[in-house]
Amino acid sequence: MTGIFTYCLRGILLPALLIILLFTDNALSSGEAVEVITHPGTNVNYLSKNLLRSVFSMRLRTWQNGVPIRVFVLPDDAPLHNIFAKKKLNVFPYQLRSAWDRLVYSGTGQAPLVVHSEEEMRTKIATTPGSIGYLSEIKIDGSVQIVHINE
Amino acid sequence: MNSKKFFTNLFLSIAGLLLTLSAPSGFANEHQGVQILKQLQVHGFLSQGYIKTTGNNVFGHSNNSGSFDFREIGLTASLRPLPGLQLSGQLLHRRAGEGSDGGIHIDFGFLDYNFINMPEVELGVRLGRMKNPFGFYNDTRDVPFTRPSILLPQSIYFDRTRNLALASDGVQLYGESRTDWGNITIQLGAAFPQVDDKDSETSIFGHMTPVRGELKSRLSYIGRILYELPDGRLRLAVSSAQLNVGYDPSQNDIFESGSFRFSPLILSAQYNAERWSITSEYALRYSRRHGFGNPRLDQSSTGDSFYLQGIYRFLPNWEAVLRYDLLFANKKDRNGKKFLAASSHPAYSQYARDLTVGLRWNITPSIMLSTEYHRINGAAWLSPLDNPDIDSAEKNWNLFAAQISYRF
Repeated sequence: MTGIFTYCLRGILLPALLIILLFTDNALSSGEAVEVITHPGTNVNYLSKNLLRSVFSMRLRTWQNGVPIRVFVLPDDAPLHNIFAKKKLNVFPYQLRSAWDRLVYSGTGQAPLVVHSEEEMRTKIATTPGSIGYLSEIKIDGSVQIVHINE
Repeated sequence: MNSKKFFTNLFLSIAGLLLTLSAPSGFANEHQGVQILKQLQVHGFLSQGYIKTTGNNVFGHSNNSGSFDFREIGLTASLRPLPGLQLSGQLLHRRAGEGSDGGIHIDFGFLDYNFINMPEVELGVRLGRMKNPFGFYNDTRDVPFTRPSILLPQSIYFDRTRNLALASDGVQLYGESRTDWGNITIQLGAAFPQVDDKDSETSIFGHMTPVRGELKSRLSYIGRILYELPDGRLRLAVSSAQLNVGYDPSQNDIFESGSFRFSPLILSAQYNAERWSITSEYALRYSRRHGFGNPRLDQSSTGDSFYLQGIYRFLPNWEAVLRYDLLFANKKDRNGKKFLAASSHPAYSQYARDLTVGLRWNITPSIMLSTEYHRINGAAWLSPLDNPDIDSAEKNWNLFAAQISYRF
């Protein structure tokens, strides 16, 4: 009986707890302000929402000055990625993943580069010409440039 | 075959030319070489499936004992030496019963040149072997992560005769328009389909044997128009093709030098919400066999296919799928009775109704576990390679599948 109880605890209660934690985590961080950022040399201060979507869906390949666009994102399950997709692009993270997979696995495009922390995001954006990504407002410093998004 | 060779040579020479032109000073410069290598992306996937069925076989001897004979391994690379130029290739190892018995194939390999890439419009050309743009799923059909379920709806994405419609060698023009009211993507291709697989013979001759001669790939046409709202909530597509195959009989052949034409028209629609997606596709499949000197073969017919599929994301990283999928080999003989009268083979080999429920768990963004259950009435999409005797096929049967997939 103890065996069964332990099994139930491991099999049901722990995943349930984890799920609740995941939900509360999302709920807590959804109030966080996220900003689109670029390499300072990109010289882009404003982008339309549609253009931003073309960039993050990996369809637009170069900036107006001809410099290749380098897109950086956090992993699919990162809370900030979720907030960014919904607030800045008006799409759900699973839609971005499907669009990237269609490009990569049919050979018709490339995937964005994945970074694993906001610190890494800031460093990459600050040092990669043509780069674009996103950060929570509090993590932004002078090494990157904020881009304002028009509706 | 000569024209096919011509295309391959053309592809190679243009690839070489473009690479030379694209980097007049570049390759001498070491720094630029590093920059080019930075544009190299490598991805891959690996999956192992388990299939257990009652009555009929799917992907190996799945009946009763179950089969692990379903494996997909892919390696994808792309290089973008210039923003407008991309070289892409994918190697695929697929083991799925008698139809795909392993080996490594070039799934696609082509050069993509983007003449125009502006915020509102994009225009380009692709040369080489490309996946056929059919419906929503054909382009990436062997990548488990891109499928809504372990088995794609078999009414449209046949696994029994997959190779003919899978990919083709030739040229494709593409364009995209991006506006506030949506994006339109058009792909138009002229290419040679793949006919050197076992299941291509099945597509054309069905259960009629022996096939002693050789299939010849002939120039074919493929196109798709896709419209989607800027936020991707609604996606609509129309795809069509005319695939042409010839037949070279051998000495003492029971068939003459005939030709086969397959012209599918696929209508696709999808709506995406945060927690759920609904997808539906309808296909009209016209096929014509001509000149084989066999009245049972020299016929034309139109079949149709339809499915309705719902996906519900009930928890983060968890998805449930529910689908009803219908296939009719002949629109004018949906219950197969005319077929039975003419051939004395079972009527239920002419249709299939498949109700599927499935569950998918994205354990991490790169590891996925999926499982599904099918309740099937009819045998129309069974592979003759795994089920050689059509008369002993079961009319009502079940399929259980589980698959673990990894990607990088």
